[in-house]
Amino acid sequence: MFSVLFSLFPTKCQSKLTLLGTETLPESDAKLSLLMMRVKALTAEYNLWQKRSPEIISTNPDVLVALGKEELQKVKNDLEMVLSTVQSKNKKLREDLKRAFQELKNKMLKLRTYKEELLNALGEFLEEHFPLPEEDGSAKKKKKVRSFFRKDCSVHILNLMLLVFQILINKLMSTPHEPYLTISDSFWPPYIELLLRYGIALRHPEDPNRIRLEAFHQ
Amino acid sequence: MAAVRPFGKLPALNSAALLLVGSDEGAQQQLAEAILKEKKSFKISIHLATSLPLPSERDHLRPRIDLIAFMIDIKSKYSLKNVEASLAHVDASFFLGKVCFLVTGVGRVNYCSVETNAVWKLRDVYCSPVLYCELELEGIRVATAQRLLRMLQICAGHVPGVSALSFGSLMRNSEDEQP
Repeated sequence: MFSVLFSLFPTKCQSKLTLLGTETLPESDAKLSLLMMRVKALTAEYNLWQKRSPEIISTNPDVLVALGKEELQKVKNDLEMVLSTVQSKNKKLREDLKRAFQELKNKMLKLRTYKEELLNALGEFLEEHFPLPEEDGSAKKKKKVRSFFRKDCSVHILNLMLLVFQILINKLMSTPHEPYLTISDSFWPPYIELLLRYGIALRHPEDPNRIRLEAFHQ
Repeated sequence: MAAVRPFGKLPALNSAALLLVGSDEGAQQQLAEAILKEKKSFKISIHLATSLPLPSERDHLRPRIDLIAFMIDIKSKYSLKNVEASLAHVDASFFLGKVCFLVTGVGRVNYCSVETNAVWKLRDVYCSPVLYCELELEGIRVATAQRLLRMLQICAGHVPGVSALSFGSLMRNSEDEQP
């Protein structure tokens, strides 16, 4: 309100305003007194607007149409600019996404090869040191064991510690919140024992039939 | 020391004055620089104060203050206390649209020690808008500077047909709709 008044009678208003004392808000009921002030000020502003008659640019319809067209053209230009900015931003984002995805994919491929290598090494190590037990107790020949790995599951193969180990890893990876695995008859007990003894696996504190992989490398 | 008054002095031609009040001088400086960098069609003077009231000795040199922005650092309880104490030295008619609260450091909510409720209470009691910003981020700093500049322009009466009071009421309405 005051700013509008100012433009009308600056000096008259100013002298009146300067005479007004300073008025800070009271500690209690600050909100009420402020709201009362707002009501007064808004009413004054409202009255001022009521008294004003808007200036009309022109009554000539041609002029009005031309002005309207000009205004719309301006809006159209602005919007076009916004559109092109957004489009280029979108394009950039899409490219970034593509690149990030490709990087991830490469990383995953590398990891997969590395995992393969590790598994092969582990398999070789186990073949050497913990060969598959046989009915008569003697160890099988290495090459046969390796071919066993490549073959699909038979109950027989599950005897291998490597597979127990792998199952444990898979379990830990797929359901980290529930890493325990129930020991079934298909696991060869001495391997389980070995895993437990060397701290690679850990028994469930309440259920001795379930084991989990331990962070043995740490 | 007298309270700051919105109409205690005559306005200067084509210029506006902003008063930043806050305990973090670094943030004030940062914001002031960002505001000065913006393109504008009028002269602007920015005054920095850690607290109110302003010292009276150089009062005759100060222009009329058109907008007061109280800066609250969300990481510092003291900054809120400081603002609350300073509010007592502001002329009541300032609260008709010429005051805003600027909450800074919003990007680090983990270190938040000022409750949002306290800020909302200030907004409600003093009927003044709250702006949230993170001055450390350049984009938001620039946007905040632009917002303050626009508000200042309105508060100084440079925008025909929009008064500080009506603008403040508009801001308030949009804020009330928030949960």
